[in-house]
Amino acid sequence: MQEKNISTANLEQCLKCNLCTLVCPMLAVNEQYPGPKKAGPDGERYRIKDPEYYDYALKYCLNCKRCEVACPSGVKIGDMIQAARIKYGSQSKVRSLHGLRDWTLASTDFVGGMTASAIAPIANGILKTGMAKAVLHGTLGVDKHRTFPAYSSGKFETWFRKEAQAGQSAFEKKVNFYHGCYANYNYPQLGKDFVKVVNAAGYGVQLLEREKCCGIALMSNGFAAKAIRQGKINLESFRKAEGPVLTVSSSCTHMMREEYPEVLGLPNEDVKDRIMLLTRWLYPRLQSGEIKLNFRQDFHMKVAYHTACHMQRMGWQQFTIEILRMIPGLELTVLEPNCCGISGTFGFKKENYEYSQKIGETLFSEIREAKARAGDSEPFAVATECETCKWQIEMSTGIPVMNPVSIIAQALAE
Amino acid sequence: MKYDAIVIGGGLAGCTAAGILADAGRKVAVFSEGLSLHDASEGPASHKEQARPPYAALSALAAKGVTVFRGDSIIRAEMSEDGSQVTRVFSRNLGDEPLEAAAYVLATGKFFSRGIISNMEGMYEPVFDADVEFETDHSKWFDPDFFATQPYEKFGVKTDSEGHVLKGGISVANLFAAGQVLAGEPMSDSDIEKSGRTAATEVLKKL
Repeated sequence: MQEKNISTANLEQCLKCNLCTLVCPMLAVNEQYPGPKKAGPDGERYRIKDPEYYDYALKYCLNCKRCEVACPSGVKIGDMIQAARIKYGSQSKVRSLHGLRDWTLASTDFVGGMTASAIAPIANGILKTGMAKAVLHGTLGVDKHRTFPAYSSGKFETWFRKEAQAGQSAFEKKVNFYHGCYANYNYPQLGKDFVKVVNAAGYGVQLLEREKCCGIALMSNGFAAKAIRQGKINLESFRKAEGPVLTVSSSCTHMMREEYPEVLGLPNEDVKDRIMLLTRWLYPRLQSGEIKLNFRQDFHMKVAYHTACHMQRMGWQQFTIEILRMIPGLELTVLEPNCCGISGTFGFKKENYEYSQKIGETLFSEIREAKARAGDSEPFAVATECETCKWQIEMSTGIPVMNPVSIIAQALAE
Repeated sequence: MKYDAIVIGGGLAGCTAAGILADAGRKVAVFSEGLSLHDASEGPASHKEQARPPYAALSALAAKGVTVFRGDSIIRAEMSEDGSQVTRVFSRNLGDEPLEAAAYVLATGKFFSRGIISNMEGMYEPVFDADVEFETDHSKWFDPDFFATQPYEKFGVKTDSEGHVLKGGISVANLFAAGQVLAGEPMSDSDIEKSGRTAATEVLKKL
């Protein structure tokens, strides 16, 4: 990289080669989107001159970062587009019904905190009905084909404090767990699986002093100020905690490591290297022999690994793949890295539903083929670190999707 | 992570070498910083009508069992004390995870892909700091005749007669170079492929 850049996001390094344009999943299905080169470095040059040049079609950017993976010059195209949306495209949106929808979709902590409780079965039941879907489709603009991820009737944090925390003192060495919204409100089993794997590795788990949603949904829905407030709280917690801060979600991890500084302007250099996915932390320790995991000998599963977009951007998929390959009785296929199309809350909006499904089709058909090849003799699952990929793939193919951490937990000998 | 061979660069030379090594049953990893121009498309400019999708070459390698690291690059290397062997390398995305191989292929291209970097002081090869052949007099880098073969096109990494890369004048026994990163006459696509094949043949002799 050149030493003399004056821009953020490496704007000057763009040579206009258009390789990003070629790999953009949105541009392939939507001609209203200008594509990463025009939306990113080209547009940025104009926007610096005059914010009037801001193009509202930038809302179509999935923030998948596939443009950045393809860029031979290290231009942070996706970050540039996100930052432009915040700087020039944000409006006070809660005043409209679509604004209310965006706020509801983005406020995972607030909505999850209210719903992941005794009212969860009622809320889940209502959200599943055709009537509720029609109302949401007609009023708020949540697409009627979508099913909301079910809320759990108890939070992971509550379970941990009640059932698991006392036992953690038996471990001399500890890791911190940033569980994220999905494990806390929607699927506490993932958090329980994390605790099981870390304990089997000989480490104890501790929760952070405070943890907020990483803010990725707030950022992409135009509520950057709130995302920044939450980011500050998280980084402060990480600073107080000693040792690694381990995660289970690739998008939260990518957000806190890469987008906090690049898009939200929150410096994280002092803690960045400690924030990582469980598999990223686990693999080198398994290799060095510091950690040994005992796997069941009667475990049988066929798994197709899907590299989620943010996982691909971090480039950490191989850590997970190598660990899955260590499990006896697990037959692994690695899928071509293609976007599933949901992009967090993007695909839940009715105006985006068709784009979302068209983008995902390449991946879905590869998954269906993998499932057909696998047959029915053994359980088959797609493995991925991204919870919104999970919803999208399950909704679109009916094939179960698991976080690799859950697969590792299931394969452990008791 | 351990491999028989690590290929640095997912362009025409790197993909050719990796394909041959994989076909010979070797465990290979390819690091491709960005999408290579040769892997972009073979069809017309409109990506909707192109003859093949981007990443076709890297995907084909993945299908052969090659571990492909898209959007990642090797940023530093460690050498044996006497400088005659590469012991391990490190990538930007994998951080402190050491990457080891019996042999390494440097196929990072020339200036566009930053396989060779030029500045006012001269030229260097950024991964291994391999010896680079270039004209020290800056005014001799260019020919004023725009259509002539430009002298800078011939600058690149130095190798010995068996294709080993030179570093500090010493032949590095397990490091080979392929494609445009090499010093010499400008290459056509078929020259690049040929040099990828040659590097793979030399690597196979080592394994």
